[in-house]
Amino acid sequence: MAALTPDAPQISLRGVSKTYPNGTVALREVTLEIPKQDFVFLVGPSGAGKSTLVRLLIREEKATSGIIRVEGQDLSRLKRRHLPFLRRKIGMVFQDFKLLPNLSVFQNVAFALRVTEGALRHLKPKVEEVLSIVGLEGKEDKFPDELSGGEQQRVAIARALVHDPRIFLADEPTGNLDPATSWEIIQLLLQINARGTTVLMATHNREIVDVMRRRVVAIEGGQIVRDEDAGGYHAPALESR
Amino acid sequence: MHRLWNRVDFAFGSAWQNFWRNAAVSIASVLIVWVVLLALGSLLLVLHSLDRIVALEKTKASAISVYLADTTPLSSAMDFKLHLEADPRVSNVTYVSKDQAMARFRDLPALDPSVIDTLGTNPLPASLDVTVKDIRDLGAIDQEVRNSPLVDKSPATNYEPNVIDKIILLARVAGIAGLALIVGLTGLSVFIIMLTIRTAIYLRRKEIEVMKLVGATDWYLRVVLAAMLAFGLLLGSVGSYLGVRRFLKQ
Repeated sequence: MAALTPDAPQISLRGVSKTYPNGTVALREVTLEIPKQDFVFLVGPSGAGKSTLVRLLIREEKATSGIIRVEGQDLSRLKRRHLPFLRRKIGMVFQDFKLLPNLSVFQNVAFALRVTEGALRHLKPKVEEVLSIVGLEGKEDKFPDELSGGEQQRVAIARALVHDPRIFLADEPTGNLDPATSWEIIQLLLQINARGTTVLMATHNREIVDVMRRRVVAIEGGQIVRDEDAGGYHAPALESR
Repeated sequence: MHRLWNRVDFAFGSAWQNFWRNAAVSIASVLIVWVVLLALGSLLLVLHSLDRIVALEKTKASAISVYLADTTPLSSAMDFKLHLEADPRVSNVTYVSKDQAMARFRDLPALDPSVIDTLGTNPLPASLDVTVKDIRDLGAIDQEVRNSPLVDKSPATNYEPNVIDKIILLARVAGIAGLALIVGLTGLSVFIIMLTIRTAIYLRRKEIEVMKLVGATDWYLRVVLAAMLAFGLLLGSVGSYLGVRRFLKQ
């Protein structure tokens, strides 16, 4: 595997296109670089290609053309048996949380360690550690349906953190949450970012993007139409300030 | 080694938990397998009994008594016996004298011996009991012996073509119907078992999705699925044991 030079971007896409078997063109010639510890909002209307981009990064889908590198590794050359190890470097949360309803909070988080064959004696301290990061101490034995949406997303975030990921991908993490709860989740993502993890968040939440003044990458029709540091959700919003 | 154990422990642990979490589905599956195998077992038992009854009736029916006229001398009867024994279709011929016939008659249950004593003379004919190898040859043998002058005419034999035809037909129908039912029920069992496995995987699809997401290896997924199948097999075995237990004892 190629060594990562200090200045090389952690995630890089060069001329990446994705056409689905049914003929839908989801991404066209996308080129994007994300350095270490960056915090990036990925914005754009539904169907613009945000989710496809996220799926390409965890290699749930393969790019039709172009080169994607994550931590210096060319994803198109990644062997299937090495795929799980890529996924352990990338924490991932979704709009629908993807928690297992019949497992408790503790078990949901521990699940990620158990199925990746982590040593059992480190399991309990690690789970407790990530649950305290997301502020869910004392709720270990609750089940997902006993929690609010915000708390469920925190469990999902805790689960994504157990492997100490270097990259954190969030696909519409606040899509199902009310504004106040959304802000709490954003604060958590900022904290994670401050600990040295690169965060890429696909979102529709205009208010959050506008207030945060972070890097914004806007996608429309499968192409990057804007890439600004300290940007807003819409280009005009930036100009007006 | 400890990691392998961790895998196996978790895989079986979650298979066990999964059974109780989906207790209704699991118990229903076991019950269905039990009922189907019970039906299969009962059917096998019925067919086996039927087969034995038919076989017994065939042996009984594949013998006829050829009644000899009282005027037939013993030497002629013995020649006739030798003649019949030489026939390749015949497996055995036994001579039953008038006295032996009377003795047998006396041994019949529900018959008062004193009634027989009142007869004074012995009205029963001597006979040659002819057993054939194949029941279907019985009709032809019967036709041949009837024409012999040595044979009594009223009646000549105890051959009953209707009964024998019915037994042959019954044996054939039972064999075909039984085979069809066994094939059908076996197919049904396999279908139900496959459906149960599919349901189990369907119920766990979310778990499998999350496993892939958090970086479980394909190998690990296979271990878990294998554990589920092994657990399913165990339950299936319990179901089938319950289903066939009563037949095993017999």
